[in-house]
Amino acid sequence: MAKGHDYDFDLVTLGAGSGGTRASRFSAQKYGAKVACVELPFGFISSDQVGGAGGTCVIRGCVPKKLLVYGSAFAEEFSDAGGFGWKASKPDFDWTHLMSKKTKEIERLNGVYNKLLANAGVELIEGRGSLRDAHTVEVALSSGGIRTLTADKILLAIGGKPVKAPIEGSEHAITSDEVLALPDLPTPRRIVAVGAGYIAIEFASMFNGFGVDMHLMYRKDLPLAGFDGECRQRVAENLQQRGLHLYPKTSPTKIVKQSNGSFSVTYKGDTGESTLDDVGLVVFGTGRSPNTKDIGLEAAGVRTEKDGTIIVDEYSKTSAANIYALGDVTNRLNLTPVAIMEGMAFAATAFGGVPTKPIHERVASAVFTQPPMATVGLSEEAAVETLSGDLDIYTSSFRPMKNTVSGRAEKTFMKIIVQADTDEVVGVHMVGPDTPEIMQGVGIAVKCRATKAQFDSTVGIHPTAAEEIVTMRSKTRRVQGKAKTEPDTNESRSYQQ
Amino acid sequence: MRRLRRQVRRLDFRRWKWERRSRKLAAEPSSQSTSAIKTSNMTSLTAFAFTGPALASSCRHMQSSALPIFSRKPQGLLSLHRWAQSSSPSRLLQGPQQVRQSCSRAAFRIAASSEERHYDFDLFTIGAGTGGVRASRFAANFGAKVAICELPFALVSSETRGGAGGTCVLRGCVPKKLLSIGGEMRETIEAAQEFGWELDSPPRLNWDRLRENKNNELQRLNQIYMKQIETAGIHFIEGRGKLVDAHTVEVNGKKITAKNILIAVGTKSIVPPIEGAEHTITSDHILDLKQAPKKLLVVGGGYIAAEQASIYKNYGAEVHMFYRSEALLAGFDKDCVEHITEQFEMRGIHLSASTSPVKIVKEENGQLTVTAELKSGEKITLDKVDQMLMATGRKPNTLNLGLEEAGVKLGEQKEIVVNDINQSVSTPSVYALGDCAFRKPLTPVARMEGTTFAQHVFGGMKDVKPEYDCIASVVFSSPQLATVGLSEQEALDKHDNIDVFLSSFKPLQNAISKNEGKALMKLVVNADNDQLLGAHMVGPEAAEILLGMSTIVKFGITKSQLDRTVGIHPTSAEEFVTMREPARQFRNKKLQEE
Repeated sequence: MAKGHDYDFDLVTLGAGSGGTRASRFSAQKYGAKVACVELPFGFISSDQVGGAGGTCVIRGCVPKKLLVYGSAFAEEFSDAGGFGWKASKPDFDWTHLMSKKTKEIERLNGVYNKLLANAGVELIEGRGSLRDAHTVEVALSSGGIRTLTADKILLAIGGKPVKAPIEGSEHAITSDEVLALPDLPTPRRIVAVGAGYIAIEFASMFNGFGVDMHLMYRKDLPLAGFDGECRQRVAENLQQRGLHLYPKTSPTKIVKQSNGSFSVTYKGDTGESTLDDVGLVVFGTGRSPNTKDIGLEAAGVRTEKDGTIIVDEYSKTSAANIYALGDVTNRLNLTPVAIMEGMAFAATAFGGVPTKPIHERVASAVFTQPPMATVGLSEEAAVETLSGDLDIYTSSFRPMKNTVSGRAEKTFMKIIVQADTDEVVGVHMVGPDTPEIMQGVGIAVKCRATKAQFDSTVGIHPTAAEEIVTMRSKTRRVQGKAKTEPDTNESRSYQQ
Repeated sequence: MRRLRRQVRRLDFRRWKWERRSRKLAAEPSSQSTSAIKTSNMTSLTAFAFTGPALASSCRHMQSSALPIFSRKPQGLLSLHRWAQSSSPSRLLQGPQQVRQSCSRAAFRIAASSEERHYDFDLFTIGAGTGGVRASRFAANFGAKVAICELPFALVSSETRGGAGGTCVLRGCVPKKLLSIGGEMRETIEAAQEFGWELDSPPRLNWDRLRENKNNELQRLNQIYMKQIETAGIHFIEGRGKLVDAHTVEVNGKKITAKNILIAVGTKSIVPPIEGAEHTITSDHILDLKQAPKKLLVVGGGYIAAEQASIYKNYGAEVHMFYRSEALLAGFDKDCVEHITEQFEMRGIHLSASTSPVKIVKEENGQLTVTAELKSGEKITLDKVDQMLMATGRKPNTLNLGLEEAGVKLGEQKEIVVNDINQSVSTPSVYALGDCAFRKPLTPVARMEGTTFAQHVFGGMKDVKPEYDCIASVVFSSPQLATVGLSEQEALDKHDNIDVFLSSFKPLQNAISKNEGKALMKLVVNADNDQLLGAHMVGPEAAEILLGMSTIVKFGITKSQLDRTVGIHPTSAEEFVTMREPARQFRNKKLQEE
């Protein structure tokens, strides 16, 4: 019995992904709450019956993706190595070998998550949990039977799942879950990826490295909607140079399975309708939706948007006073470290006696294309839209040192956006090797509202690509912010440890 | 906007014509040295057109630590910043400030021409390395008449050989990093097998191809430096410059006078006088070997030694390191040194601490037999050594430069003793920067000093000074070590209460490859005010990761600000914002027990 209440637990968390695990652990370990965490049995392809501790990030997202991206990036290394005198012709690639290694690593990490929860004194209950009322969770145990848990507070951290665009033959297409557990590369070695958000584009880039004939179809004129325009342009150019076929302003309309097992994809673009044959696999990266179906939200008085997104306030509290939600199911900023931040803020708010808001402003993120892209703060377009006054844009495009000898023509691109009257850096964007690693430290500075002068006075590290960030001296252009008044940028209380 | 730019261009053109006229009127140095001086016909106008982001200057070095630090409302910075904008030459093409700027340039020329004594040049620079070229270009951009001399190009330096670009480009950072990238590719190719790539045979290296490609790149960079000099309208003289007096330099037998003389001659390797030392090589040579050694002995435990040991280990050599001290990389953070020492051993580099070579014998087959003495007095012998690198230190290149004769004060290491604006303490018309001033021998530091020198002396920015705090430095070994701010030991010297955060982890790519290499990250925090004092890392991409960290250490970010930053997942760098519990705490300089 939880102390001082008539409930079994102080907290029951549904979902042991990054956010749910962190929230449960901190509530238990740091603030002494009695916590149970409900999660589905482990498996690679998620469903109503399959999940696993670690959640999307560890099992079906960031981690397996990055491992496959590493694997794929070797293709680039083989060709670059030639310039450095290495005789290594591009060898054959064994997908099943990589997959078995990946599986092992993911299983290991899943075990780590289980252990983290156990060590924090959180009871992990395997099964499917749903709400009966605002204080009661019913778990259909995977071992059979039903267990009813009562809780003072309930946290919904049940994530999202990939959705397919509703077109004819979409049942033949797969989504990110299946891509990351694909038993073998398809025959014929041709893949159509639909969508150009970061998921679709990372997969497209990855498969291209593995030697797949890659076709990427998307509705906009450039991939990666929402990111900085110039960077999107650079990414598209890089992908094209590496042999990807890009189909901007294109939507697939029909997928037909042929008798030999291959697919034909009919698509509509600027020039009308055409069909691409001999496609081995169709991958949909057309968005994700919150996992909120049939978990009893109405019964508990938790309100959602039309698309199922749980509505929360700035403390991650839902419309039910004792029920909170965080991570992808709240569709704020769907990134692992953000869910972790929300988890810690929740624990401090609900059990630490320190109401704490997670701050979603100036969060750095990366897209693991080849080469990758990294970004923090406002894109140039967003800066123009949301800020007022003069904005100074600094850009630099240069050949990374490795490419001078490897012969690779690609250039690294970096961009800094500065609010002229305060000299504050409001956005930094980069496309090129190592940019996600470079961005982290830069992101801290931007988050702490560093000025351009402060960047300038930092002595570079030579020779690196990163030093370019502190040596961009003359602005490329000045643009005008369109907002009438400057928005209030005062940060409210951020979370305490 | 476009109209404004056109106006600016017109204005620049007018200034250019005016300057060309005034330059013609000024006495030409050609009367003295017609053949030796390659006069550049490029104008200052084109110089500005070529001023890309990397070339352009800034006067922003001026803000000091007294400024409001990452303040939410940086009003305090405003006026200073505006001033910086208005006086920065890099901003010339962008706004009406250029009017003021061109006026100040004119003022400088007038002031220069009204000097009592006439000089051939406003500035004469000896040495076209990073610092010398930066200083000269910026001085020229401020309207100074500048000449620079440099020795003929060669990869191995001597009294008669050098080349534009200097140590960094020809015998340091650049070739080293290229060789390092190439060497780490072996590891990459081998790791690829664990990721499912099926190699028929182990990777083989064509050393000649690597060397040729590397040297092509060095030559290209040397040409870029030459072009920059030309574009900035600087007179380039190929030859060895020697000081005659406080205002006169002699090159190729011709005497040239200058109002200011800048010494930027760098350093060179020193080889201790042991028996058979003539059979050893220095860092100049090892960066351009005709053949990769099968067995390499590196003497020294500093960053050059560590880097070269790593590089040739990666190319497959059997590598031994002898060093006099007990630990590698003296001066770096102890945890980092311990960690990297373990990693070196794991990679199969043979380390021998407290060991000094005493005798080197060249055998008939050309291989070396090296006798060394341990601290205990015990002698050991290493034979069949293909190359022996002496990485035992560098010293300023200030011999036979006429410095002492001209009364320029030299320090203990023969460095030119300068004040906080790189001016000789004995001879006001002489300045020195970069390695030969022996402060912090790093390329970006020389570049900074070059910038501040030009701004101070020719740009009228008397408050500008180089800032030496929180300069990151990196050892490009495998794995890399990167560091900024105070080490744990330094922090304890200066502060009573310290929190140390440590994280050691296997980078994600090593989860699949057989590489057992681990990364280490470390933060040193002042427990009194939560301020970050130092950030250190050993591991892949450490150099790239540390750059951003150096900005935040420099500007006194607190640990809680770091904690509030959301990580980038999955990266190694995110570890810097996810370290929650201190590994060690010191109170009143005493380690606290758990």
